Amino acid sequence: MADRLATIFVWSAALLVTSVFLWLLGGIVWSGAGQLSWSFLIDSPRNAGRAGGIGPILISTGLLLLVCLGVSLPIGLGTAILLAEFTSSTNRFGRLVRWSLDVLAGVPSILFGLFGNAFFCIFLGLGFSILSGGLTLACMVLPILIRSTEASFRSVPDEYRLGAAALGLSRTTTLLRLLLPTAIPGLIVGLVLGTGRAVAETAALIFTSGYVDRQPTSLLDSGRSLSVHVYDLSMNVAGGDANASATALVLILLLLLINGTASWVMGRWLRKRLITI
Amino acid sequence: MIGENTRLPTNRIDMLIEIDSVFGNSPHRPDTVTGSGSVGKKASATCCMARPTVRRSTAAARFRRLKEFPLSNRLFTCLVALLSASIVSCSSANNRSDHQLVLTGSSTVAPLVLEMAKRFESQHPGVRVDVQTGGSSRGIADAMRGLADIGMASRSLREEEYELHAFAIARDGVCVILHRDNPIEALTDAQIVAIYSGEIVNWSDVGGHDAPITVVNKAAGRSTLELFLEYFDLSSTEIRADVVIGDNEQGIKTVAGNSNAIGYVSIGTAEFDASAGIAIKLLPVGTVAASVDNVATGSFPLSRPLNLVTRSEPNGLAATFIEFARSDSVHDLIREQYFVPIVP
Repeated sequence: MADRLATIFVWSAALLVTSVFLWLLGGIVWSGAGQLSWSFLIDSPRNAGRAGGIGPILISTGLLLLVCLGVSLPIGLGTAILLAEFTSSTNRFGRLVRWSLDVLAGVPSILFGLFGNAFFCIFLGLGFSILSGGLTLACMVLPILIRSTEASFRSVPDEYRLGAAALGLSRTTTLLRLLLPTAIPGLIVGLVLGTGRAVAETAALIFTSGYVDRQPTSLLDSGRSLSVHVYDLSMNVAGGDANASATALVLILLLLLINGTASWVMGRWLRKRLITI
Repeated sequence: MIGENTRLPTNRIDMLIEIDSVFGNSPHRPDTVTGSGSVGKKASATCCMARPTVRRSTAAARFRRLKEFPLSNRLFTCLVALLSASIVSCSSANNRSDHQLVLTGSSTVAPLVLEMAKRFESQHPGVRVDVQTGGSSRGIADAMRGLADIGMASRSLREEEYELHAFAIARDGVCVILHRDNPIEALTDAQIVAIYSGEIVNWSDVGGHDAPITVVNKAAGRSTLELFLEYFDLSSTEIRADVVIGDNEQGIKTVAGNSNAIGYVSIGTAEFDASAGIAIKLLPVGTVAASVDNVATGSFPLSRPLNLVTRSEPNGLAATFIEFARSDSVHDLIREQYFVPIVP
């Protein structure tokens, strides 16, 4: 009896989650798909976004993501390697780093926005720019990226390291040739989660990368991201709801594309490794 | 110790550690072995069999552990250097020129000014006008501190902000609308408050037919909602709404399709639609008729100015832009955003 209750509970919880997701997706597709066209993807917004497309906004979003990942990937990877391979789990410095990362991961994004505005925009003089926005996003994404990569490094069996040591491999070789490839799936999971958080961000970006919907010509230009555009159209511009839904649909498609590419790359990577080893 | 010896020093970093561990603090070798990282792990795996009880931590051991990750230290140094170099080179290139204006402030005004900025840019090649949002208070604060060339505010300046210069570019007015067939011609402020807070639920209580009132309210975040709440001194939790709508057009359609409905929308849209034959009527506030003209002159109480704010008397590009934003050539843009142009 208790078993059956538990089964019912688990199934209904899963069904609830799935149906909420489908309902949400269906609503966006229903109201947004009509607006979607090739010209919507490449045109500039007109009349405060009610008409026209989202071309410059797509490009700004892409640049923001590039800056964010370009900065957070090397730093994140380095820190994760330090935490997993060069410090023990009881090391005081490692614990401090881990603790601060966990705190950072829980900080609301509006605080990152205010920090980014005060530090990157004003203190470093970058102004409202894609660079400021990307760096702020990098700060937000780092904790997720580091913790997930660190976990995957720690999950590599110790026998690998022992084997490498027995073969007389140097530590760098062990790291690059053995541990890193084995930990790649975890890195990609962190990357996908981080990208999701970055792409979905509005609060941190409205104060850093800004509101300008012009085609960006450099990383120092202000640029509006997709989610800021959705927010502005739905909350701020009367009559912008149709284009807001269409932009939200593009945002979701972009996320699915990123997730799909990541898992495809991961699958290829794993298959290649299985063949060569 | 066994673990240390199984490892061949194949690069310089490892060599340093090796030499260090041979000639260095040999009494503390067990600590090194139980220490951190891949060396520690593989070493302790073999070593613990021999000396399972050794798990001390001394200052020397900690010091050695710091030496154990020069690779990532270098990586960090490189990254930090790279990052700061790029930042320095960028910030030196980011001097605000005579060809750029930065505006921050009210999210109500921002879409309008953004459209004005696009037209301004097309008329002045080489000029860039960046419009940012953040709210009226932010616009005023940024203008005061000089972080923005021009601030945007969807309200009049307060007394403590007297040192700023405000330039109204348009007005935003809200009026209460009823269905055209509703016999009621006017409602007092108190009656509107009672209807919206759910104390009066039937039109007969205010002199109309015996029919339930359908209260149409705006969704949270709309500037019309803010203005309405502020004028009638209501809070959004007090409102008992039957229908919640998003934009002005939706509100007008709802009221036009329900003869017992009451709603409020932006005045420009309502007047245009009423004159186009849609079944709504605009109620006066107090004795002032709801019309775009009365909003333009400022006599209609349910309205507010949309201001551009500067710290000092504007000059150069800022003055040109403000002049442009107040000229007749942007009145079509103002109407497109459902605001009311100011007629001198």
